[in-house]
Amino acid sequence: MRFDLKELLCKKILLFDGAMGTMLIDAGLGENEIPESWVFSRGKDLLDIHVKYIEAGADIIQTNTFGANGIKLSLSRYGAMLDPEETNRKAAAIAREAPERFKDRRVLVAGDIGPTGQFFSPVGSLREDEARDAFRQQARALDQGGVDLFLIETMSDLREAVEALRGVKEVSDKPVVVELTFDKKPRGHFTLMGNTPREAAEILGREGADMIGANCTLGSSPMIGLARELRAQTDIPLLFQPNAGQPVLTEGKTHYTQSPEDFAGDIEKIVREGADAVGGCCGTTPEFIRVVRGKLEDLGKERGE
Amino acid sequence: MRQFYEECKQAVIKGDSDLAQRLATEAIDKKEPILDVIENGFVKGIEEVGRLWEDGAFFLPELVMGAEAIKKALSLLNPVLAEQQKRNFGKGKLVIGTVEGDIHDIGKTLVSTMLSANGFEVYDLGFDVGVDIFIEEASKRGVNCIATSALLTTTMQKQRKIVEALKERGIRKKFRVIVGGAPCSRRWADEIGADGYAKDAVAAVKLIGELIGGS
Repeated sequence: MRFDLKELLCKKILLFDGAMGTMLIDAGLGENEIPESWVFSRGKDLLDIHVKYIEAGADIIQTNTFGANGIKLSLSRYGAMLDPEETNRKAAAIAREAPERFKDRRVLVAGDIGPTGQFFSPVGSLREDEARDAFRQQARALDQGGVDLFLIETMSDLREAVEALRGVKEVSDKPVVVELTFDKKPRGHFTLMGNTPREAAEILGREGADMIGANCTLGSSPMIGLARELRAQTDIPLLFQPNAGQPVLTEGKTHYTQSPEDFAGDIEKIVREGADAVGGCCGTTPEFIRVVRGKLEDLGKERGE
Repeated sequence: MRQFYEECKQAVIKGDSDLAQRLATEAIDKKEPILDVIENGFVKGIEEVGRLWEDGAFFLPELVMGAEAIKKALSLLNPVLAEQQKRNFGKGKLVIGTVEGDIHDIGKTLVSTMLSANGFEVYDLGFDVGVDIFIEEASKRGVNCIATSALLTTTMQKQRKIVEALKERGIRKKFRVIVGGAPCSRRWADEIGADGYAKDAVAAVKLIGELIGGS
């Protein structure tokens, strides 16, 4: 079932889900496991997490495939045991099951694509064509698994984000969202590689991204300024998924430096700066998404939606 | 400062490995005082690179290229220096690695290079390093610091395991344990009972210098 992202974005602010990794830890991710391995060993628990995010009010859930590109998997002791195509197909199929339980709502599944963990010259020795091959392979499998759109996220190198975007577009014409991860520096917002929001907007726009944005690194409060800066650069729809501060773990329990209410208050400001879609990254939970949902409903009424 | 030292410094700031190597070779051929060339030339360069990184003027590519340049120069200069004066690293020894289950290598390698460039004796254990390997290598090498990197919320718990395993074996006090990587923080270090946290390679050199620099 196809959908028109632009049309959807005209109607409302879209809400993506929150963190996966910290949820997996809470659900008992073992010492010798990588998150992607749960696709095979704990599919039911993964489905539960997806369902919890939909119950909390997410419009779009993200597959558990952040580290499931062939390059990253092959370099990890536990990941090397997983077949990249099967992992992505299966993860998409698991996520696909969750919206089935909510017949009265339209919930979309985004195929999540994270960085390879390797770097291009001069920082590392990864080649552009290798990266594109891995992303193409991942995107094809996610597509086969039934995702509605793609979410390329946490990219600290615009060049790698572009290879991912191109790789996806080579195998699918479904919408693609691209999020880079920016930090606040004395001279403005930059990725680790020195890319600016302006460059990101220009290049990702030219490459045909349907929505761009930022996730991770920044908490919700500093993300407000980045939203303002990025909105000033482009008319492309924007998505922001900040962290809930830095997650700190004690005795296996996750603590946050921020409350869901604080987070949601900042999200409201991010929307007022011009965001078209929002969600959470590290440290956010279904509770964060639930409180954000409430805020978005209030905002929607205010805007007469 | 002598012009030659300035050239060495600039080669590192520009991240020009070829030039750094040529200057190092020239220093050896002309029988320059090698320790001065390192300390007043190349190391001044990497310090400036660190400052520019902290100011937000330099980014990862510049930092890595600067670190590569000084590494290339030191690979030529260190053997000569060892001959000249039986160089004593003096600044302390450590093992460093990315924790088990985590393949993120670049930040850790950069920290490792920067530490070597600053005179520490560094044993880089690579990535996906098991808790036992960290401890075995640290004991075997007689180091006084274990530096651990974790880039994911799902792997950072291994840093806690290292601290716990050291306690269990009754050798916690033998090592300073420090943590780094995107999800880590000062608070995380405190939570797990580590001795410190550094947010990047430049901060790591400072931190480790404070912790074991005098040992």
